[in-house]
Amino acid sequence: MSDDCGRETSDAASGPPIGGSDPSSPDDEGNATRRGLLRAAAGATVAGAASTAGCLSVSTPADVAVQSEVSGNVAHFVGPSWLADNREGAVVLDAHDPEQFREERIYRARRVPFDAITARESTDGVGEGDMPDTDAIAAAFGEIGVAPDDDVLAYGASVGSRVTRVAFALAAVGHEGSIRVLNGGLSAWNGRLGTGSRDSVSPVDYDPDPAASAWVDREWLADRVGTFNEDGPGLVDVRVPDAYLATVGSDALNDDHDRHGHLPGAVDVHWVGNVAGRRMTDPGRLVRLYEVEAELDRDEPVVVYGDDNVDPTSTWLTLTAIGFEDVRLYDGGFGEWANVEGDRGRYPVETATNVVVETEGSVGGDDDGGDFSCTG
Amino acid sequence: MTGGDGQNNTPADRVLAVPCEGDDLLVLFALETGDRLGEVPVGSHPVHATTCRGRTVVATMGERAVTAVDASGEVTRVETGVLGPSHFAGANGELYVSCSAGDALAVVNPESLTLVDRVGVGAEPHELAVAPDGDRLYAGSRRDGVVDVVDTGTRERVGAIDAGPDARVQGVALAPDGSRGYAVDQRGARVVAFDPGDDSGPPAVGASICAEATIGADPYDLVATGDRVFVPGRGDGVVHDFDRELESIAVHDGFSRPVDIFEVAGDWWVLDASAPRLRSLDGAVLEMSAPGLVVTPVGERRLAVSHYDDDRVSLVDVEAGTVWTTDSPACPFGSVVV
Repeated sequence: MSDDCGRETSDAASGPPIGGSDPSSPDDEGNATRRGLLRAAAGATVAGAASTAGCLSVSTPADVAVQSEVSGNVAHFVGPSWLADNREGAVVLDAHDPEQFREERIYRARRVPFDAITARESTDGVGEGDMPDTDAIAAAFGEIGVAPDDDVLAYGASVGSRVTRVAFALAAVGHEGSIRVLNGGLSAWNGRLGTGSRDSVSPVDYDPDPAASAWVDREWLADRVGTFNEDGPGLVDVRVPDAYLATVGSDALNDDHDRHGHLPGAVDVHWVGNVAGRRMTDPGRLVRLYEVEAELDRDEPVVVYGDDNVDPTSTWLTLTAIGFEDVRLYDGGFGEWANVEGDRGRYPVETATNVVVETEGSVGGDDDGGDFSCTG
Repeated sequence: MTGGDGQNNTPADRVLAVPCEGDDLLVLFALETGDRLGEVPVGSHPVHATTCRGRTVVATMGERAVTAVDASGEVTRVETGVLGPSHFAGANGELYVSCSAGDALAVVNPESLTLVDRVGVGAEPHELAVAPDGDRLYAGSRRDGVVDVVDTGTRERVGAIDAGPDARVQGVALAPDGSRGYAVDQRGARVVAFDPGDDSGPPAVGASICAEATIGADPYDLVATGDRVFVPGRGDGVVHDFDRELESIAVHDGFSRPVDIFEVAGDWWVLDASAPRLRSLDGAVLEMSAPGLVVTPVGERRLAVSHYDDDRVSLVDVEAGTVWTTDSPACPFGSVVV
């Protein structure tokens, strides 16, 4: 008989050698094979390694960089080769938290003050609801020396929602220069790295030119209740399906919300479907996800929202990148909608619907806590 | 406000309009003969119909709209903005619709057939009850365990009765004089009584119930009279019979799956969704061709019965038996006589 490698074996003619076992004997080898199978069945072998059994699989920084290159007709997302070719002309913004930034960053990158670029301006005095505080956001970019016409590349640990919020914030203040995101995040970069305290940067005056077409407010939505994903705009809820459906026990996901569920007519596409590890999901898969499965029209306005104004920017940038022409963020988010005071009949919430588009994404990165909203 | 209009005659030209949930149709039958007269596509999952200002209005649970048919045959879609219109109530000249997949009541002007307002209430509102003077409306929330109180003059939620922890409020009813309210907690198999308020004001938000009683499993609806409260328990095959303070009078058993109870010709009759018969609380039995899920009173002695699971509609006379029975499109539900 022969094994799968074609070597001749025998199950009777050869016993264990005198004086102890021979680790190279067919029996021991067979035991090891069986152990390997059992371990694999028990989940001890990581996916991918099993398929290369017998081969040593090593990913080099160059491999990761190559894997992170972006091909096809995709806007905003670029691979590390773009940065290598444009290192001198681009302002590089780091979306990590301060500790991660000090530990390791792209050389001469500037850390974005994240709280400032998520700032909201309440306009409840005029009944419109929350919207991006473009003055505060512009000031934050000015503090780190970003000028309105700079070509900017933002990166994080991956292409999660923290880095996409940076891109949205730039768009919201009417940034004139280009806005790009590094596919694969910091791990895709195999060029020079920096560490320690931030480099000295001269602040500039950033005079915002608010791009109101990048967002909507509560009243804009309230005026269109009943039309979403029918004869009105597309509407995507990017939260986990349990929050969207308000399933039993899901109240605990947001116990500061008065109400649970989703905006009437919204379709749920969890934002992590935009991300595969540290890179953006295959663009072809994204087109299928949003155009075929979620049935969104790329030529019509599409509004995205989440609980906050960070996670939905992943879908905002993703849809923009794959060619949707008019994508807008509800900056106030479901947190504002669910807790609105007064006439809630104008701001209804639905629960008993089931329009969930299943996603398979995962967000890589080394952030703790399992909070996907802060993975960068 | 679903089903019959209380008229006591059955002229030959009257029509039974039956929403057929499975085929998205409002199907018309000659009331006298059962002849099928036609059908109107009305949208997804029509469940209940009512009449108002010369229009027949259909609640289509699969839509964010209700559908109205006027006297000229024109069909109008009235947007509610929120999914799941299920039950109607008329108050203060307007038509209230519970949007059972959301947390709002839609308010429709029956003349212009337009949405005039939405009133925010507890999530997944279902059945509605209206005070005798029409000034207040009561909506049970299947998700938040409350009975919301709406001022129909201002279209504002002005109060809410807390039916208890984890309550799933299904049926809601008022005593005919409006002095007492009742609600069915389906999850807890309870019926509760509450003070619906008076001239001095509505109950406060978070108001407590004033009495409660255990009922049969999986209850759904209830009926309140001046001195009695009847609650079928579908899971146990019983009908609980209480006085107005929810003190037990009797438990009527021996049913399979009782779903509704109604007074016809002086007797209380029980509709059973698992048995092809009506049975009165006095023990009288009226055989039918199939079990029924919903009935609509027609005159003094007759009932239009929707046999939901058997795709059939019947007109039944409690003294003479079945007048006619006929096949229908799929899943006939809450009909109205027009």
